[in-house]
Amino acid sequence: MKTKVLSLIVLLLTLSLSVSVFAFDPETFVYVGGAGGPQTLDPAAAYDTASGEIIHHVYDNLFEYVDGDLDKIGPMLATEVPTVANGLMSEDGRTIRVPIRQGVKFHNGSVLTAEDVKYSFVRGMLADPAGGPMWMFFEPLLGVQTMRDVIAMAGGPSDFVEIDEVDPAILRKAYDLIDATMEVDGNDIVFHLVDPYPPFINILAKGGSWSSILSKEWMVANGAWDGNPDTWPKWYDRALEEMVLYDKANGTGPFKLDTWDKSGAQVLLSRFDEYWRGPAQLKSAVIKNIPEFSTRLLMLRAGDADGIYVGQQDLPQVRSIPNVVVVEGLPQVTNTVLFFSFTIPVEGNEDLVGSGKLDGNGIPSDFFADINVRKAFGYSFDFEAYLNEVALGAGEIPKGPFPQSLPYVNTEQEYFTHDLDKAAEYFKKAFDGEVWEKGFKVGIVYNTGNDARKTALEILEYNIERINPKFQVDVIGLEWATVLDRLRSASLPIFVMGWLMDFPDTHNFAVPFMHSSGTFAGFCGQGLIDLAKEQFDELIAAGIKATDPAERERIYHELQRLYVDLAIGMPFMEATTHRVMRDWVEGFEYCPAYSAQYDLYYISKVQK
Amino acid sequence: MITYIARRLLFLPVVLIGVTLMIFVAMSFLTPYQLVSTYIKSPEELKNQSLDDLVRKYGLDQPVHVRYINWMRNLLRGDLGYSASANMPVAEAIARRFPATVELALFAIVPVILGGIWLGTISAKHYNRPLDHFSRVFAIVGWSLPDFVFGLILLMVFYGVLGWFPPGRLSMWADSIVLTGDFTRFTGLNTLDALLNGRPDIFWDSVRHLIAPVMTLAYLWWAYLLRITRSSMLEVMNKDYVRTARAKGLTERVVMNRHVRRNALIPVATVSGSMVLGLLGGVVIVETVFDYKGIGLLTATGAQQLDYTLVLGTTLFYGLLLVLINLVVDVLYAVIDPRVRLE
Repeated sequence: MKTKVLSLIVLLLTLSLSVSVFAFDPETFVYVGGAGGPQTLDPAAAYDTASGEIIHHVYDNLFEYVDGDLDKIGPMLATEVPTVANGLMSEDGRTIRVPIRQGVKFHNGSVLTAEDVKYSFVRGMLADPAGGPMWMFFEPLLGVQTMRDVIAMAGGPSDFVEIDEVDPAILRKAYDLIDATMEVDGNDIVFHLVDPYPPFINILAKGGSWSSILSKEWMVANGAWDGNPDTWPKWYDRALEEMVLYDKANGTGPFKLDTWDKSGAQVLLSRFDEYWRGPAQLKSAVIKNIPEFSTRLLMLRAGDADGIYVGQQDLPQVRSIPNVVVVEGLPQVTNTVLFFSFTIPVEGNEDLVGSGKLDGNGIPSDFFADINVRKAFGYSFDFEAYLNEVALGAGEIPKGPFPQSLPYVNTEQEYFTHDLDKAAEYFKKAFDGEVWEKGFKVGIVYNTGNDARKTALEILEYNIERINPKFQVDVIGLEWATVLDRLRSASLPIFVMGWLMDFPDTHNFAVPFMHSSGTFAGFCGQGLIDLAKEQFDELIAAGIKATDPAERERIYHELQRLYVDLAIGMPFMEATTHRVMRDWVEGFEYCPAYSAQYDLYYISKVQK
Repeated sequence: MITYIARRLLFLPVVLIGVTLMIFVAMSFLTPYQLVSTYIKSPEELKNQSLDDLVRKYGLDQPVHVRYINWMRNLLRGDLGYSASANMPVAEAIARRFPATVELALFAIVPVILGGIWLGTISAKHYNRPLDHFSRVFAIVGWSLPDFVFGLILLMVFYGVLGWFPPGRLSMWADSIVLTGDFTRFTGLNTLDALLNGRPDIFWDSVRHLIAPVMTLAYLWWAYLLRITRSSMLEVMNKDYVRTARAKGLTERVVMNRHVRRNALIPVATVSGSMVLGLLGGVVIVETVFDYKGIGLLTATGAQQLDYTLVLGTTLFYGLLLVLINLVVDVLYAVIDPRVRLE
């Protein structure tokens, strides 16, 4: 019996040895990401990096960034970049003509036309799934944010629950409004913008998954909207999984989608041999997700993965591994900001605001509406310590709400420094000295699991409590779901959030951080909304409409100055990123605008 | 016995309605904006302020009882709803992930039970002697090791150093054949499907991926079975009929195997039943470490993301499984043990 067991084990081990002979596959690239895969492959709905990653390889856009440089835009499926100089853009910047490349094939064999381009964008706008990226078309083309707004423009209600409640005549009118924004003229497509919008070309460039070009013929054959002006509501704001492109794809990109294996959390891609720029060197690629870092790392070591996701905190573990290359300090257009809520509800919020009064046991609703409090908090934070000890040096200290790599940012802007004397000075001024005299108690929140943000808040806590023993700050971790709920009711006195650009323009940061209807204003209470309406909204509108770069610079410098002077929030980090790959990976190209970790078209594998 | 089974089965809907009601009651404590986190999974995904649109779109603002009635109505039509965390319909998610779990359970249960009983027998035979101490310490170390630690150690040794047993369910090459090639999925069990498709290479590949998680599960669970077997054997060893057997001159081996062990196995059978259930419910940590995409990880991820359709679906499924397996075990008792009568 025992000998049988023993021989069985020996047999098993030999067998496993015989199949585990290391096989280097030069034509397949495997990237293993962390938790969470794509949510949808539909370019009109995808708005997260994991989805954008897949869309990047399968589709092309009209333009692309040359050599990954955000300042250099080149043609992709277009043949020229429109400018006033080459006559493709009108003097007023409102009419933009884009000539479309001829002879480009989709994966299904159909040939790209200007009609496909128009269909791609019109279909996306008409579908406008809630929470999606299509606002980037509505804003430049019609000056609104959603399809709902367009229906309202056409005279309909904006608060309907089901779209069939709306009069078909109004829906037709809404369609006509959209249809009129673009026209096909021979091989060209002509965009009509409601106002000049300098970054419109960026919105159409590679990296914007929302501006991927689809094949109308293939879409219609697969059950998507057929271009009929009256039937589009059937496809309006459907659940992600009900959209035709949810898990199917047909682009002109260098790779075809083989399958999105959802239960295995992986996407299989294979080379499109008829790619218009010539076929890629890789034959296939696998992009998969494994939440456990140790497992990913072992796969990299074993050579089963060519590149893996490694969190900043784990980088020291991989730097010294032989045959592994770590590329660090890759610039990103992003920032991480500590926000203050100007009007905090007290009822039901006692765990954070305590008594709701300035009596040493809580904070009043308008605590952060006092500029002195905000400034005092700003001067309390130790920016250097965070950058060096927590972010391990991977980034820069901001100079305001606009990342310094963007144009029109004043890199000389004076900003908060770690200065506890100044902080004390402002605390003494706040609420006519009452804050200093009576003290306060406040709960500040991070979403559990995000240790870097937790540490940032602890740095703040440590420094503020050092200033005056009557000051009490509690760092509280809440589940993301609860954070989201309390953000909605603007009830977090302080919260930390990041913003990763959609397109590289200062406007894309001015709106979320400063506009009264921006993403974050609603989370900061009515106090900020009122302030923004009064001081920022007009400037922001002027900034995006200005076509003269000098004028834009003046406006964004002014917005930046206002943000810092008024201490609207406290941006504290502009993080860089990194890649971890095997040394046999060649042709790595980086562009801060791209969701894809690796631009697979340029990648090849050469064994050392 | 038929009446007994029928009565138990009649009770089934009551159990299922009970568990789903409990989940809905628990859910009623969540606000629509907490539930919307299923669609905005992290702060990074919060890109524009359309929380209200999302809430309206997915009907998260409807009262809980309305949602329950809707859910029940769909259920009666065989529709378990769509899972945003798994990116597929709940029924499909279960149908795809459960076979993986079944496969792991099938491979794990034999070494777990046989190994546990074997160790327990050794311990009992060598009661309070070095071999007893050794096997107890060996097993108790496994029991006290956190599963992710032991799993990672195995993964490092057998994958990182030796390269034998990789994580996942299949290698990339096998995956691409199974997913996109000419390969029919009959059962969802990779090993079985590989054999049915006449692909011994894929069969072996999937076995290779099963060995390390099975070893982890086996070692971690042996201690439990060892202790049950040991104590139950020690109890039986002191029974009169064992003394009689020895007195009539039977060899120690026959006494042990025929008279002692067989009688000592009844509590072991009970425990094994619950182990099978435990395995079928999924083993989250082992699935995480070995990137083995089973039902445990599916449910855990869904629960973390407040994906209530998925949680409801898997709970319903697991409830069904629990009731049915318990019923089978009870019926088996009656068949095996003449002292048990079902009424």
